Amino acid sequence: MTSMLPAGFERLEFFVDRWAVAGTANRDRRRSESTEDERVAFFEAAKGLVPKALELLDARPLDALDEREQRLLDLMLSFAHVTMAVEMLGKAEERHARFRAAMRITRSPADA
Amino acid sequence: MNQQTPVFTTPDEQVAWMGTDPIPAKAYYDPAWFERERQAIFMRTWIEIGHECELPEPGSWIRRELEFANASILIVRGKDGRLRAFHNVCTHRGTQLVEEESGKGANFLCPYHMWNFGDDGRLIAAPDFQRFAPLKKEDCGLSKIAIDSCAGLIFINLDPQPAQGLRDYLGRYAEGLETLPVAKATTFHEYTYEIEANWKITYDNFQENYHLRFVHGLTGAATVHADNPHGYPSAYDFNGPHRTQTIWSNPEPQIQPMQGYNFALAARFGMEKGIIGGPNDRTYFAIFPSLFIIGTPIQHFSHTVYPISATRSRGVFRIYWVGDDQNASERYVREYGMCALRDIHTEDVNIITRAQRGLNSGALKHIHFMTMEGLCRHLYQQVVERIDAFEAQAAAAGEPA
Repeated sequence: MTSMLPAGFERLEFFVDRWAVAGTANRDRRRSESTEDERVAFFEAAKGLVPKALELLDARPLDALDEREQRLLDLMLSFAHVTMAVEMLGKAEERHARFRAAMRITRSPADA
Repeated sequence: MNQQTPVFTTPDEQVAWMGTDPIPAKAYYDPAWFERERQAIFMRTWIEIGHECELPEPGSWIRRELEFANASILIVRGKDGRLRAFHNVCTHRGTQLVEEESGKGANFLCPYHMWNFGDDGRLIAAPDFQRFAPLKKEDCGLSKIAIDSCAGLIFINLDPQPAQGLRDYLGRYAEGLETLPVAKATTFHEYTYEIEANWKITYDNFQENYHLRFVHGLTGAATVHADNPHGYPSAYDFNGPHRTQTIWSNPEPQIQPMQGYNFALAARFGMEKGIIGGPNDRTYFAIFPSLFIIGTPIQHFSHTVYPISATRSRGVFRIYWVGDDQNASERYVREYGMCALRDIHTEDVNIITRAQRGLNSGALKHIHFMTMEGLCRHLYQQVVERIDAFEAQAAAAGEPA
């Protein structure tokens, strides 16, 4: 299988399909549509890799990232959303997601 | 933590001057009362409507809708660098000039009969204009609206002759606002909501901490402590119709592992940009009638509540940032910051609608504010003061209010 992510992040390959999402509002939507098992699995797999991923990505300007690096960045950005669900809300996330939909994200520097 | 926990003293005495009277509930749902507020306050007060970073160069423009005025407004940066505001209305037969939210260009061309306006609002050209004689082009400029900015925040005033300039209106808080990162902001996150709730019910939620531990038990755990179990502010201040609270610094916040990692990363960027350590880092400004901006430099958000009707409002949250995302770490930590704030604010919006539904029944003649809801009392009192003054002035002039 062709690697979808830079070397050293094989453990996150499984999560690319679901969590490497472009666009802040799309990442929020994915969070809201996910199951608790999906969120926890991603959070547990990724949390220890965040410093290493950011260090690798910071070596290049944002507009010079290759496809693999961009996927890794999108994973990290989804991880930011999932962190709120797993670390702060836990079981309350499902109820929270219903109300969150009314708070529309209309602008994000990540989408510029 | 090695720090000794400080003894927290609730600043009750700082709000005692406002009294303890119950507040008439009608002010929070009655359409007739709202109409008095609309006339006396929103149609003649400086209203925050955007930020200068949205208009980075000459010819940049944005369109803003203000439901309370039934108005569509164009804000334009002219070739001379000046900001101007106009009604988005062709002076021929009233057609709205633009439908886009923003753009860039020196002219506004009405799609109906091709009247062409410059970025200073002048009518430059109109086909076959001589047949409008004796009408003159110089009498056909776009309808102007008063505009000014402070700390990068753009305010408009729909009063054709505002009683005060923006700077006078803000008083000593103008200087405070200018110390905040928003004054240097170049970009922002934005999230918005519409809510079935009165603008004051909505706004009041964000100027009292009594609800923190109950509504934000999970997302706001870092704000409460055994020494200050409600996370009350450490001080209040009042300045004309405006007010501030000083956010209490929790010496032993409960922080989750990734939350701590992310805040440390955000603080690093804040230090690099020199936006941490300002005199108003813990100041939460409430600018009358309905703007908030919090000084905390790594969660630096504004929130404006725009009334739509007595029981409907629209809110705009923005998290202001200084400089573009310089690398992946900064993009990541800003995304997290947005998620963290938006999650908290989502919980607020839910509880506010419940409060409004209860009041709409008319079951209550009065509501009650305790001392730590003193800022809510101040808002109500300022609203009453402004309505009374406006109506007295109208009566003296022999006009219906």
